[in-house]
Amino acid sequence: MSRLPVPGSLRLRFLLAITVWVALGVSAIWFSAVGIFSAHIEQSYHEELEVHVRELAHLTSFDDDGSITLTRPLSDPRYEVPLSGFYWQITAKDHEPLRSRSMTRGSLDPKVAQSPQILHTLDSGPTGPAITYGFTEPAPDGAEVHYVIATDQSELDRLIDGFTRDLTIWLAGLGSLLLATGLAIIGFGLHPLDRLAKATARLRRGEAAELEGKYPAEIAPLVNDLNAYIHQNADMVARARVQAGNLAHSLRTPLAIITDEAERLAEEPNCSHAATVLLEQSKAMEQQIGYQLARARSSSGKPYAARTVRLPEVAVPILRAMERLHPDKSFSLVSANCDQATLPVDAVDYSELLSILLDNAGKWARSKVELTFVCGSDGVVTARISDDGPGMTSAEIEDAFLLGSRFDTTKPGAGLGLAIARDIADAMGAELEILNGELGLVATVTCRLDSEIRKD
Amino acid sequence: MRLLLVEDDIELGPRLSERLRGADFAVELAAGFSEAEDWPDLDSMSAIILDLGLPDGDGLQLLRHWRNARIETPILILTARGSWQDKVEGLNAGADDFVVKPVRFEELLARLNALFRRQEGARSSVIERGNLRLDTLARTAGLGAKPLSLSRQEFRLLHLFMRRAGQVLSQTDILDDLYELDSERAPNTVEVLVGRLRRKIGRDRIVTLRGMGYRFEK
Repeated sequence: MSRLPVPGSLRLRFLLAITVWVALGVSAIWFSAVGIFSAHIEQSYHEELEVHVRELAHLTSFDDDGSITLTRPLSDPRYEVPLSGFYWQITAKDHEPLRSRSMTRGSLDPKVAQSPQILHTLDSGPTGPAITYGFTEPAPDGAEVHYVIATDQSELDRLIDGFTRDLTIWLAGLGSLLLATGLAIIGFGLHPLDRLAKATARLRRGEAAELEGKYPAEIAPLVNDLNAYIHQNADMVARARVQAGNLAHSLRTPLAIITDEAERLAEEPNCSHAATVLLEQSKAMEQQIGYQLARARSSSGKPYAARTVRLPEVAVPILRAMERLHPDKSFSLVSANCDQATLPVDAVDYSELLSILLDNAGKWARSKVELTFVCGSDGVVTARISDDGPGMTSAEIEDAFLLGSRFDTTKPGAGLGLAIARDIADAMGAELEILNGELGLVATVTCRLDSEIRKD
Repeated sequence: MRLLLVEDDIELGPRLSERLRGADFAVELAAGFSEAEDWPDLDSMSAIILDLGLPDGDGLQLLRHWRNARIETPILILTARGSWQDKVEGLNAGADDFVVKPVRFEELLARLNALFRRQEGARSSVIERGNLRLDTLARTAGLGAKPLSLSRQEFRLLHLFMRRAGQVLSQTDILDDLYELDSERAPNTVEVLVGRLRRKIGRDRIVTLRGMGYRFEK
């Protein structure tokens, strides 16, 4: 089973759910953190500027000559660095304005300081938009003094942007880690289903008689139910096969008596017609019994029954039996790349199929029959049964698979073999073909292994 | 030729025995596993016809038991079990042929004759010894170009002699081959039969060995 999520899979569903959940979570954290940090940093700025403007007022002194001076520089050295973004300004009527050393150009609007209460606004400063604080206080001479202090807005933006960038990188990392963890959890959580899929494949290949393995509590009842169903089905099929066999066997002996009676009747001068009818009908019944019994043996489907055939060993007892059945013919076995190969088909069906074809070849061969197994790298396994007999015409080959079709009534048989062979081949998904070879007739049984169930 | 028929069906067993007797076989009928298991003279049988589905045991087990006991008599399985799995198992257990019921009697006879020919190493149903010719399938005999008119027992005796030409056959050997165990066997039956056969095929073809039996000259 592929590890990549496929459309409609549980793995994809879980992955999508986790992705959406992680994205929502990370986004919420991002927005919240950025908002909280921005508010906090802004508040800190404002508090700091408020302190600075009060400190500025506190350090201001008015000389007798009317000039404004500071008793000492502000505690923050950034007000001393030219165009640092941190500025202050003191203005009073009839006094020369005093500005921070950082403000080498431009000025601050004294109107920002409108009242004794500290007010702030966003105003234009020497180096762009600035957060400006100001308040008024009377000078010793009674004049109104405007204290204004400003910090570039870009300073605050830079701090917030830096935090936002760091936060984004960190949250992206966290999101990736959460997704990877989610994937690992999906893999871990769905592993029992992967094992179940493998157990099902083993069942389909016939390497197991039931779904094997231990499963989590959520799946175990389903597996147990399936196994119970498989066993129940197998038992039912087995019982049906036994009953079909018993029925056929119980019919065959009375049929043998009827056949015998008919043969005796045939010897009576006035009963030959009745005997002929009886014999014909007995023959028809025998054919139907043989055919339906073979179908009952092979048509159980057995999709979930244990079934494997090991090549070429499966043919050894059959060939030994054929040598006894046709002692004047030689039977040989050739295996091409099939040693120790396993074919996922029912052993009884495959043996029945090979036996029918080998017996047929043995009946018609002059002296030899050859069974060749060829296992291709493409998963195609072919059993080729060739004889050195007279072969068949195209018309005979066409009719060969018909029920009751016989080409030489002097040879024993009921004309069922190839019809049954075709049914067995169809049931196991194999191709059965008969054609004329170099020496005689060639029958091939081709099994194509299902690529889905060959993989572990 | 004597056959052992192992068949439990009370209707089919006697019917088949009767038909086989009609074809000049001496037939012993065993109606089950236990009766057939220790049959006393299996080696002197020409063939055994064995049903697999016996009520008191498995016919295949009986077959294996005989083969393990080195009984070499040809065995033909006649059964209602028709699968190749059964056939392969039966043949590999030591059967020589496998026939599924119901079978036409002439086919059964042909299969039996094929077994006998195989046993004798002959590919044909015709046995020839000198100018004597015997066709087991057509059940005819001839001396040179002249057909011989033989009774059923005379034909069977000639068949036995020709099959085992050159071998010494005791009166018991001959009686065992011609008659069933429980049939009445008059002491001079063999002498009378041999005498009649000699008159038809020539006196010098069958040599009497005093105290031992008879020998058919090759």
